[in-house]
Amino acid sequence: MTTNIYEEEFKVEGGDFMNVGTASTTLKSSLEMVGIPSSITRRASIIAYEVEMNLVIHAGGGIIRSLVSTDKLMILAIDEGPGIPDIDLAMQEGYSTASDAIRELGFGAGMGLSNMKRNADVLKINSEMGKGTSVEAIIYFTENTEWRK
Amino acid sequence: MAGGIKVQEINCAGCANCIKSCPTEAMRVIDGCVSVINELCIDCGECMRNCPHKAIMMDEDEWDLISSQESVVAICDPTFYVQMGAYANQILIKQALASWNVTDISDYASLAFDIVAYSIARMLDHESPQNLPLITTYCPAVIRLIQINFPELVGRVVPVDSPFEIAVAIWREVTGRNDDITLLVPCPAKITLVRNPVGREDSNAQYAVSVRKLVRALLAGGPKISSEQLEVGLNNRWLQWSVTGGESAHISAFSQRPLKTISVSGLRNTMDLLKEMELGRLRGIDYIECRVCDLGCIGGVGNAESRFLSKSRLDHMDINWNISADEMEALHGWYEKGIYKLEKEITATRRNPLATDLNSAMSRLKELNRIYSELPHIDCGSCGRPSCKALAEDIIRGQGEMTDCIFKLRETISELSREIADLAEHTPHTLRGKRV
Ligand SMILES: Nc1ncnc2c1ncn2[C@@H]1O[C@H](COP(=O)(O)OP(=O)(O)OP(=O)(O)O)[C@@H](O)[C@H]1O
Ligand SMILES: [Mg+2]
Repeated sequence: MTTNIYEEEFKVEGGDFMNVGTASTTLKSSLEMVGIPSSITRRASIIAYEVEMNLVIHAGGGIIRSLVSTDKLMILAIDEGPGIPDIDLAMQEGYSTASDAIRELGFGAGMGLSNMKRNADVLKINSEMGKGTSVEAIIYFTENTEWRK
Repeated sequence: MAGGIKVQEINCAGCANCIKSCPTEAMRVIDGCVSVINELCIDCGECMRNCPHKAIMMDEDEWDLISSQESVVAICDPTFYVQMGAYANQILIKQALASWNVTDISDYASLAFDIVAYSIARMLDHESPQNLPLITTYCPAVIRLIQINFPELVGRVVPVDSPFEIAVAIWREVTGRNDDITLLVPCPAKITLVRNPVGREDSNAQYAVSVRKLVRALLAGGPKISSEQLEVGLNNRWLQWSVTGGESAHISAFSQRPLKTISVSGLRNTMDLLKEMELGRLRGIDYIECRVCDLGCIGGVGNAESRFLSKSRLDHMDINWNISADEMEALHGWYEKGIYKLEKEITATRRNPLATDLNSAMSRLKELNRIYSELPHIDCGSCGRPSCKALAEDIIRGQGEMTDCIFKLRETISELSREIADLAEHTPHTLRGKRV
């Protein structure tokens, strides 16, 4: 069997609050079209949305790449932003460095990374100060995954 | 599987206004006339609002036919009571309808709305926090929108039957009567409630006629009002369900704890709210009340009155939110019988995947994206599809061609004409080297 991999890439602009959510909406519609079950689609779109938000707010933009293979789905976000000094701290619920202006828009509750963690089977974050951050989230399709006919 | 709207073909100009307003992309213009993909239509009425040619209408039953029958039994939508200054009163309307030989059984509706509010309050009391918020089932268009656009949220839809269904069921049980029932509706979605209900096999009602139709008839001076009786002591809590926030207030009146509810109306707000919920961003909220029409059901396309005036009447209504012991006893009996329960589970409406197995579906999705990348991405609607993406999908599914796009067509023509020009330069062998 050839392993067919579907790949989708998004460029996210920094500070572009108007279009935020496009990456997640597009990914969701793609996943629906290939017949990925909604339980997985839901988790994937949550992750995509949160990484997209973080690229917009914290990193000055970046790219989101989604890869679907027959056994898993991977979402990769890469930026060349300021980096995260203490990843464990950033992972904590409620921790946020978002400015007041951003909080006024309803973001910056410090829930994004933990929301991602809850919804991913694997979440890896690499960050180098001044160089950028990469976030890799994987969702496995298990035997229990109910496929649509 | 809708049924609340119909297209008047002669009026359709084939413009793209409606297809672009449709939240589920259920409309296409094919051969100059709009057509609706029934499985995707949620009967929100947005296309009617956006059609400049009045080519889309509510597909209601014929009141003239219904009312020519010997006896007619009707139940009114709460919006009906705030349509006319002269008839803003349950008793007056009952009398007016009676003068036409129409039996108005809306008193049962007021009981049924109490039962629904009470049942939802009990569910919210018992649901564990991680399963909250629950979502209203009052607006049939919202249920369908969730089934189609937010399949992940169907489990959050509160499994409580429509108060209209409950009202008719109680009326039938109490009176032992079996007459056909006409529901007076403010929107196409409630027509579908009668013709194609979600969560039950068949509706308890048989016909649906717009509120507007009856209001016109009333105002045309048909009936005579003899009394100047004022409304006394009637339960009017249920009337508030026709404006944003009314349902939540009613449920809160029955709740044992202060509820955190969010109430929104209008399609855009509803979609935004559901999207936020889908993203897991609404933790700490108990209940979500949404209506696809602006300001709530009073904004439905089947009303006669300005939604602003209707709202003003509702705002100035004296409402008794305290449930009396008698009322409590009456509703509790029905609650215990489980009359509020849905017959069937509400399930998601699955979009057809591009292929039956993941591998070939992925290949076709790649092809779809390739086609999409060649389209102009301006979503002009000239191809009869709501967006370039929708055209790409139609092409992949064998329901469209690249040249449906006028920009692609233009490109193809210009390529062709260049080829023709080239060919025209081509001189036959017999003439080559000679002056023509
Ligand atoms: N791509 C990134 N580049 C730099 N810093 C980041 C990045 N992603 C997250 N962070 C840091 O980690 C913190 C926590 O992120 P998280 O997504 O959990 O919360 P938030 O974005 O601040 O708020 P919320 O996601 O609730 O709107 C951020 O405040 C920010 O300091
Ligand atoms: Mg975040």
